[in-house]
Amino acid sequence: MDRCRIAALFLAWMAVAPGHAADAVEAFTVMEIAPGNFVHYGRIEERSPDNLGDQANIGFIVGERCVAVIDAGGSLAVGQALRAAIRRTTDKPVCWVILTHMHPDHCFGAAAFREDQAVVVGHENLPRSMGQRARPYLNALKRDLGERAAGSEVIPPTLLVRDEMVLDLGGRSIRLKAWPVAHTDNDVTVVDEGTGTLWLGDLLFVSHTPVVDGKITGFIEVLDQLSTLRVARFVPGHGRTDAPWPQALQPERDYLALIVRETRAAIKRRKTIEEAVDEVGLSERDKWVNFDDYHRRNVTTAYTELEWE
Amino acid sequence: MSGGILRSVAEDGGIMNMLWRGLTAALVAVLPVAAALGNEKAEPDPAKSQYWPPIRQMMFGEREILDGKDVVRVYLSTRADDASTVPVAVKAQIDQTPGQYIKQVYLIVERNPSPAAGIFQFTPDSGRAQVETRLRFEDFSFVRAIAETSDGKLYMASRWVKAAGGCSAPGDKNRMPANVVGTMKFRFADETVEAHKPALVQLMIRHPNESALASDFDGARTPQFVRHVQVTYAGKPVMSADVDFSISDNPSFRFYFVPEKEGELRAIVEDTHDKRYQYKETIVEGVPLPGG
Repeated sequence: MDRCRIAALFLAWMAVAPGHAADAVEAFTVMEIAPGNFVHYGRIEERSPDNLGDQANIGFIVGERCVAVIDAGGSLAVGQALRAAIRRTTDKPVCWVILTHMHPDHCFGAAAFREDQAVVVGHENLPRSMGQRARPYLNALKRDLGERAAGSEVIPPTLLVRDEMVLDLGGRSIRLKAWPVAHTDNDVTVVDEGTGTLWLGDLLFVSHTPVVDGKITGFIEVLDQLSTLRVARFVPGHGRTDAPWPQALQPERDYLALIVRETRAAIKRRKTIEEAVDEVGLSERDKWVNFDDYHRRNVTTAYTELEWE
Repeated sequence: MSGGILRSVAEDGGIMNMLWRGLTAALVAVLPVAAALGNEKAEPDPAKSQYWPPIRQMMFGEREILDGKDVVRVYLSTRADDASTVPVAVKAQIDQTPGQYIKQVYLIVERNPSPAAGIFQFTPDSGRAQVETRLRFEDFSFVRAIAETSDGKLYMASRWVKAAGGCSAPGDKNRMPANVVGTMKFRFADETVEAHKPALVQLMIRHPNESALASDFDGARTPQFVRHVQVTYAGKPVMSADVDFSISDNPSFRFYFVPEKEGELRAIVEDTHDKRYQYKETIVEGVPLPGG
């Protein structure tokens, strides 16, 4: 079995934004976690002009004929840094850009692969959900990154995954699966079948507080299905871990299950949504980075789902 | 029907329709500027908001608007957690008496494409002029609550809210089946009610409350959202509201009513597709009520 090999790639950021050497892409590193599977681990921090939205774990898989990108990063600049990393690794063309879901930290870099004429691939619900959020996502990106947001675009997929789909990269097939509503209503996972590498998108958060932008009970059900898969290696959407599969799913599942349990209890005690948001799930605070940025929102989403049970 | 003036206007195409058309036109002119300047992270001065004057002019003309702090307050968290579901409470600071009461509360989200989120009418029978609901926010915005008292005076309270993107993101991720739309329930704050003592109740409506902003609705179709809500107790109006898609999906309204020994609480809801939904529940003093 191949040892993981680190490919550190240094990008001349000057070419992207003259005079603004943002440190996010000065040293854009990718790691080969399994043969042909390269991951760039994003930062667990709020989006800023310094990190340019380099928050999500993104990467690519190299076949004999084609490269498939898995998530394009949170801005054009991050997408370009990923593209430069690919060009330093292989001369094979990028045939597909797979978006694991609609969120801006995974999608805004897709424009970097336009010149490759790569086909954008996503869940069958992605065009609709992405279309509804494109404008506010772009406004927020401009608010956070200012002029460094320039060129970032929401590009809808043209190849849609319904249930499952296999892409042939040449001597290597990858299997895409579209999931029911969980983290969002458009979650897709990718398995590189030869190496047993599972790319989870934001169905798995490690360290970073999990985010529920779909359906919390659905999220738990999908995790339970994922836990039955045989997986040699896996890539979370955020964070990294040495925990084995499927135990690595457990902290996230525990967090979501606690929210469900305590929100149901709060509803039963006739608590309002504001009261629930103030009291549910606080025992998890120390287990997650950026808990205060996302937790209350998760409880809000859970409450509006569970109050109709 | 309560709210005679408003209903008579509503008969004639709808005050919310009128406001919506007018304000949308006014805001289309302002929005590009807003996008260009949209960098305000600090809390601005409510008196200096560039978005307020056209809305004020459209809704209140030259009428004087007084400081509301002794009459009405608006409660919500400054940094909203979910822009598509921002809980807000508007609470009267005066009692509802036949001599002086709040007859109407205008709830406005300045930067929303349709800023008039709701116009709520109350009577002395309402017990308290108070309403809690959940709002969508398109962008960082002031929320204004303007109370109109029975003597015709206007009082305003304002709050700044940091939340964005909630209008274009209808929370209909789960694709609501048609037969579920319009389902309602009441949730009572207390397990039982006592005659003549104001009681808090939440009216919950299963409805996608589709935003007219969503980008990929086809042009031939009008978004379906709740337009009018009317609640009566024992046949008398408690609260009625003209509302809009600034209200979150599955609209929720929490308010007071004053129960007798026994009586029927009834809600009638109408949406933009001319659908009419009804729900009622008999409330008996001392008998356990749903809510948990």
